[in-house]
Amino acid sequence: MQLDQPVKPLVRLSGVWKRFGKLEVLRGIDLDVNEGATVAIIGPSGSGKSTLVRCLNHLEPIQDGAIEIDGFLITPRGVEKSGRLLGQREVAKFRTLLGMVFQQFNLFPHLTVLGNIIEAPTGVLGRDRAAVTEEAMDLLAKVNLADKANVYPARLSGGQQQRAAIVRSLIMHPKIMLFDEPTSALDPELIGEVLKVIGELAIKGRTSIIVTHELAFARDIASKIVFMDAGLIVEEGPPDKLLTSPKLDRTRAFIARIL
Amino acid sequence: MSFGRFYRLIADNADVIGFGIWVTIQLAIVSMMIAVILGLIACLGSLSRARILRFPSMLFVEFGRNTPILVQLIWVHFAWPEILGIKFSAWTSAVIALSLQSSGYLAEEFRAGIESIDKGQIEASQALGMTYQRLMRRIVVPQALMRMIPGILNQFVTCFKSTSIVSVIAVPDLMYQAGLIVSMTFLPMPVYSFVAFLYFVMVMVIALGVRFATRRLPQFGYFNQRHGGE
Ligand SMILES: Nc1ncnc2c1ncn2[C@@H]1O[C@H](COP(=O)(O)OP(=O)(O)OP(=O)(O)O)[C@@H](O)[C@H]1O
Ligand SMILES: [Mg+2]
Repeated sequence: MQLDQPVKPLVRLSGVWKRFGKLEVLRGIDLDVNEGATVAIIGPSGSGKSTLVRCLNHLEPIQDGAIEIDGFLITPRGVEKSGRLLGQREVAKFRTLLGMVFQQFNLFPHLTVLGNIIEAPTGVLGRDRAAVTEEAMDLLAKVNLADKANVYPARLSGGQQQRAAIVRSLIMHPKIMLFDEPTSALDPELIGEVLKVIGELAIKGRTSIIVTHELAFARDIASKIVFMDAGLIVEEGPPDKLLTSPKLDRTRAFIARIL
Repeated sequence: MSFGRFYRLIADNADVIGFGIWVTIQLAIVSMMIAVILGLIACLGSLSRARILRFPSMLFVEFGRNTPILVQLIWVHFAWPEILGIKFSAWTSAVIALSLQSSGYLAEEFRAGIESIDKGQIEASQALGMTYQRLMRRIVVPQALMRMIPGILNQFVTCFKSTSIVSVIAVPDLMYQAGLIVSMTFLPMPVYSFVAFLYFVMVMVIALGVRFATRRLPQFGYFNQRHGGE
């Protein structure tokens, strides 16, 4: 897949700190994510995984350090491009660079599945409605939801909702995909169908960052696994190495607990 | 009073009563339509981060909720013309006072509705590149409005009942028309009894309609959450 392409980081975090009041949630995070790579983040509850992901699209401001994403720079001041601080509208536009999939799906309950999917491409990007609808139906077919286009989310199973939510992100053609425990809210028998869509559709050829407790899945898809604990990246490496022979006891204990 | 005489009394004055009913219904509907819009504006204002919007909006809401309707009515009708230098008809004053009151209550309900929307909805919208204005308009407010349908309908019932107060500034609503008939016939007992009965029937019908509509809501897609699923 990544034969002779020049590898350069599309996302680079340097010394990122995040505090909620006195609580230090990220305590100097350094991380590179190469173009086309898939980074899986694992770690115990409360270690700051969600917060890290939310800092990447500036849902959370940071207090120190910097995040470079495809020519944009996130600092404690906000989002900058070429040294200029972006306004509210431009930050919103910047966010379309990244797609985000949530643990709780967060589909819009007052819109049908199709309505959910075409809302942002037509409204935010101003793309042609007919063309977007066609693309949406195409994607829905790929995730086996073609017959649910005109159904409200409340009528869908968790697995179906999450697949629809993934399509809603993908239709924005994001350069980077973020997943925050996309299968943690699902009944065990529904996890497989969602992981399949993530592996075969969502992250194909796209830079991705995924927080997950599905270690077998992480091993299959990740180019790098990052283990976080107490606001720090304490260990990172290729999946086989990190999962089978971790350097630190903490990492080993965590992996043993999940497996 | 025999039934025959009572019947004749009502029949003779049917047009006067009918006109009163029509005015009452119009007042309630027009005031509520204005109140829904004003309430929404006041609510968004009081949620705004800009103090210059927030403070007046909150004052408006609290004033609407915390002054008696009779006081508002008299104040609007007799004080506003002097303050603003414009003369209103009694009907206009009545609509203003009724909207003022209802919009205060509705604004509070809207706010509760908006604040009840899950944070995840806002984050998902932001992640899709929506600005604050767009996500309010397209995602948050529509959901809040749906949740508020029962609240709006209940406020309509309250507003309908409140309309009877406008007779004190000579708006020819049902109550005022009843007074007219009494002053011509000197028969307060049958006239006011009949009017009380009319209000009772009208409010009852509306309230039942509201209850029916509220109970039907869960059958629409959006409300299916609690019952739907897998
Ligand atoms: N908005 C917030 N305000 C205050 N504290 C917060 C906020 N968001 C997160 N935190 C705190 O930050 C810490 C890290 O939270 P975070 O959600 O990033 O952890 P996590 O690694 O994703 O955990 P989990 O595996 O349970 O999802 C927690 O202690 C949490 O309580
Ligand atoms: Mg989390």
